Amino acid sequence: MDFLLQIFWAPLTETYFQKALIGGCIVAVVAAVVGCLVVLRRMAFLGDALSHAMIAGVAGGYLVMKLLFGLEAHAPGMLLGSLLAAVLTVALIGFVSRISRVKEDTAIGIMYTGIFALGVVVVSVFRHFIHIDLMHFIMGDILGVADSDLWVSAFVAPLVLSLLILFYRHFQLSTFDPVMAASIGLPVLLLDYVLTTCVSLVVVSAVSMVGVILVVGLLITPAATAYLLCDRLDRMMLLAALFGVTSVVGGLYLCVWLDSAGGGAIMLFCTLQFLVVLTVAPRYGLLARWLRLRRLVPQQVVEDVLTTILRHANGTPVTVLRQHVPQPSALPRALRQMTQDGLIQEGEGGYRLTETGQTEAAKVLRAHRLWETYLESIGTPQEELHATAHQLEHLRAGGTVDYLDEKLGQPRLDPHGKAIPPRGKNGNNQE
Amino acid sequence: MTTEQIPAIEVRHLTVSYGERPALLDVSVTIEPDQLVGVIGPNGSGKSTLIKAILGFVRPDVGEVLIAGQNVDRAKGLVAYVPQRGAVDWDFPITVREVALMGRYQQVPWYRSLRKIDREAALEALDMVRMSDFAERQIGQLSGGQQQRVFLARALAQGADILLLDEPFAGVDAATERAILEVLERAKSAGKTLVVVHHDLTTAAEYFDKLILLKQRLYAYGPPRAVLQEELLSQVYEGRLRVFADLTTGKGA
Repeated sequence: MDFLLQIFWAPLTETYFQKALIGGCIVAVVAAVVGCLVVLRRMAFLGDALSHAMIAGVAGGYLVMKLLFGLEAHAPGMLLGSLLAAVLTVALIGFVSRISRVKEDTAIGIMYTGIFALGVVVVSVFRHFIHIDLMHFIMGDILGVADSDLWVSAFVAPLVLSLLILFYRHFQLSTFDPVMAASIGLPVLLLDYVLTTCVSLVVVSAVSMVGVILVVGLLITPAATAYLLCDRLDRMMLLAALFGVTSVVGGLYLCVWLDSAGGGAIMLFCTLQFLVVLTVAPRYGLLARWLRLRRLVPQQVVEDVLTTILRHANGTPVTVLRQHVPQPSALPRALRQMTQDGLIQEGEGGYRLTETGQTEAAKVLRAHRLWETYLESIGTPQEELHATAHQLEHLRAGGTVDYLDEKLGQPRLDPHGKAIPPRGKNGNNQE
Repeated sequence: MTTEQIPAIEVRHLTVSYGERPALLDVSVTIEPDQLVGVIGPNGSGKSTLIKAILGFVRPDVGEVLIAGQNVDRAKGLVAYVPQRGAVDWDFPITVREVALMGRYQQVPWYRSLRKIDREAALEALDMVRMSDFAERQIGQLSGGQQQRVFLARALAQGADILLLDEPFAGVDAATERAILEVLERAKSAGKTLVVVHHDLTTAAEYFDKLILLKQRLYAYGPPRAVLQEELLSQVYEGRLRVFADLTTGKGA
């Protein structure tokens, strides 16, 4: 008990940890909510581009404030600079991809590396004026969150969140079906710009905490995690926000316990969280998929069981069934499923067909024997008749069997001289 | 030429299925050379499956397809396919001439460069579809009908005697439709056999020598007048068409 108190409570008493927790959670919530739209619009690459382009803005802002006003490392100046850089990048990307034949993903790649390079050159050329730690910029430092960073996120978060909540329907529609959105008069282009501005704001406020490289993960990983669990956008956003918070909390504890880099720990926790959900998600998870496949009883096995029991006439023990069913491994499941569906009953001496089972089995047998007769009529060799008809007997939908019957002149006996069961009372042979 | 005895395409008792629903059931069709044959039928009636089977892309449950008397698996290269217009990047840096040249790639092994005959064959094919004036254009700068004709030229350049076209008239205007049809007829008179998936019953009688009416199984195959019977069409289209009266009184034919 003391130990638990020690490892969970002790960090909370430290100011740096409190700041990191508060700042991180605020940023993670907005990032995750905006991230949902980013994921659904397949713009993940754009988020990456914006965070890289920021460095030019930060350097520019620093330089301007220093040269014009003599202010050292003026935070609002750098913030404004990075916002400008982000918007400029987006505008350039849009311009290039709209006006030339270069496609958008290539345009993004060109523009953001270009602007990032500009930033790096500016920072290194003016290294006597600008004191920016490039490493800090790239890796972030959530444990050393400054008060100014907290203020920035306290300003950005409510702004972006209220925009997204107020115009939720607009963003939903323009993401899902932009043409329809434009046709009912929504300003689709403006919405695009608002969204990218929101992404830029979030990226700018998150970079100081997790760094340029990891910020895109904070944007899309919680959203993608929620995407695996929800079929509605509003719930996806809520859940994504929750996953954002758990990533920050879990990551920060991880970072304290392991004494590691803060941003790295957060994104590592976030990614692990995604992998866990990917495995266990009830509908879209790997485990669920695997179970679904395992539970599936092949129709072929069901039909084989039916016809075997029908041919056997009396109670059929499992040993006999095992000989006649090509996939014995699926047999126990098939028998259970078929008993549940009321096709067969277990009695003394083995399994018997119920009345429904009898009808079903007669349908399969009729299909099988008609296919055999058909195959013989088109000149299939005798020894292949049974095996081929066995493959074909599952083809019964859409009046197939009746067509064969009619075409062959409603035969009574199959090539082996066995009776073909008559057409069922309830009309056709469709399932 | 005495190829009259060997049919261009022979489909024998073809059954193809996806799941428990047969896409094609017991379809047998014999297509003679030098014919323009239309395949009609409602959506999901197995038209595309028939085309795929003739290309050898699907494995039949029963039956076989013979191309010029050979099993389809051994007849690669005898059949050329013109896809629907959709799936191409029209900004791709390629000219009309180069697209037509692609038809020759099958004949040229990787270690040899394209010969003069290949270039001539491509140009000849472009000539036949009346697109040689546009040879140096990038493909995105053509109209829809012109693009369709270029892809037809590519199929012609393959040197195959059998051409399969998947809805070449989809989404083009009436004048363009005429232009494409004219090209098809020129190809036919050059000795090609053409099988065309078609949607428009009102023009079917006029365009094709023979029609295949399909809905899983073969409902009719023969000259348009014999196929476009009200009784047959209302069976296949389940009585949802109002144009039967016009079609069957022979206005179009």
